[in-house]
Amino acid sequence: MTDDKDVLRDVWFGRIPTCFTLYQDEITEREAEPYYLLLPRISYLTLVTDKVKKHFQKVMRQEEVSEIWFEYEGTPLKWHYPIGLLFDLHASNTALPWSITVHFKNFPEKDLLHCHSKDVIEAHFMACIKEADALKHKSQVINEMQKKDHKQLWMGLQNDKFEQFWAINRKLMEYPPEDNGFRYIPFRIYQATTERPFIQKLFRPIASGGQLHTLGDLLKDVCPSAVTPEEMWLSNLRIDLRWRAEDSSDDSWN
Amino acid sequence: MLEGTSGDHPVQPQPRQGHLEQMTQGRVQIPSSMAGEEDFFLEEKRFKQHCEEFVKHSQQIGDGWEWRTNKDLGDGYLSKTHFQVRNRHIAQDLREKTSDNIEETLLAHVEESLDDSQVAGVCTTEEVIRYEYHVLYSSSYQVPVLYFRACFLDGRPLTLEEIWGSVHACYQDRLQEGPWDTITQQEHPILGQPFFVLHPCRTNEFISTVLTGPWKHNRHKNYIILWLSTVGPVVGLSVPLSYAKVAPEQNSSTDSAESNENLC
Repeated sequence: MTDDKDVLRDVWFGRIPTCFTLYQDEITEREAEPYYLLLPRISYLTLVTDKVKKHFQKVMRQEEVSEIWFEYEGTPLKWHYPIGLLFDLHASNTALPWSITVHFKNFPEKDLLHCHSKDVIEAHFMACIKEADALKHKSQVINEMQKKDHKQLWMGLQNDKFEQFWAINRKLMEYPPEDNGFRYIPFRIYQATTERPFIQKLFRPIASGGQLHTLGDLLKDVCPSAVTPEEMWLSNLRIDLRWRAEDSSDDSWN
Repeated sequence: MLEGTSGDHPVQPQPRQGHLEQMTQGRVQIPSSMAGEEDFFLEEKRFKQHCEEFVKHSQQIGDGWEWRTNKDLGDGYLSKTHFQVRNRHIAQDLREKTSDNIEETLLAHVEESLDDSQVAGVCTTEEVIRYEYHVLYSSSYQVPVLYFRACFLDGRPLTLEEIWGSVHACYQDRLQEGPWDTITQQEHPILGQPFFVLHPCRTNEFISTVLTGPWKHNRHKNYIILWLSTVGPVVGLSVPLSYAKVAPEQNSSTDSAESNENLC
């Protein structure tokens, strides 16, 4: 896995150029200029947009400002999804920069989770890490870590510190030599067209005959309707599913 | 009469504290002798069976639970909606107090014991809150998980702080130890909408205090009834005593197949 460090770095440092524009109905004291930012794919909107918030609040009155939320072409953006996932789901076919609209009023209670502090993001992130480890190691690795190790994972993400993050995350990516892989692969399949937010099932990395499962095997098993005959080339890409799971640098789903 | 607070459900035992705290000073390790995951895991098929029994009994006693199936993947969840009346104490200027108000305050049925604010002249209003509870299966933790949402009659949803505040008094200490690990807002995995969830990793702690041995020795009981009657009251959901009468059907061939699964 250390040979794949380049891939890990590429995933970690992936960026999406984004243009933030204030929603036209927000009440301002002067004109609000758009704000441009390179967003990290592996992070969360509310974690990396403090500057965006400050920029727009400068032209607004205090009483007009409540919880910030983001929207793309009328769809509220779920801050608890990684930014890269949001982009791939909603805007991957459009030209860059990605245009996101910023709101400070009328928070959509039925669509979005609240995010009143960084604690909320940390709790969500750690819950994802823990659930992934429940699948990979029956929670043994995550539970054996000290609280300061958990904190280091979070701080690594928050401060964009690759080495700091991976010093701890590599333990979550290992398995004992006698095993041939994780117990189950943590994955979620997101489709923009369904009401159901994602598909998640138990899936082993090794088939009963001992051969490694591929990404194509997983897709066929989990959502056969998504794989049409034209798309069968994907199942012939013999991507070792263990590799895919190991290189997902925020240890989770996409 | 306030639901969820008085005697129609069993008194909950206090969760074991000292042993676990000693072993986990500064660490989050749960000693392997107490590691809950394998001992208390529930297979999805059995989850569905127990839910079916649960709904059947609920229909008999009019307890309001129903099973909802997701048409895409065929999985589903238990669902129940009920209304709870909650007393809210609003401090009032003493000068505004009329004798009528004072009488109302004295006669209002309150959960908590009287404190200074109430003696000083506090107006009590009753608020109706609509609770919706869902029981889903977590394949990651292999346990049921309790999701819920709550709003006032005007549609305003309760905040996380309000939810934490409404956790039953018996469980407040536990909650304060780690609120972010206990109840948070999450996306409902089937509906995709914001719900509050009682974290499953803590479920095993609650369950282990109720069962006297690993789950495999308790297979004759209905897991949903045991689990829900333990964790439900934490968030205002009571399970009437009559559920204790429910006995799952014995199926010896299923049992032996499952004991082989346990080994993997």
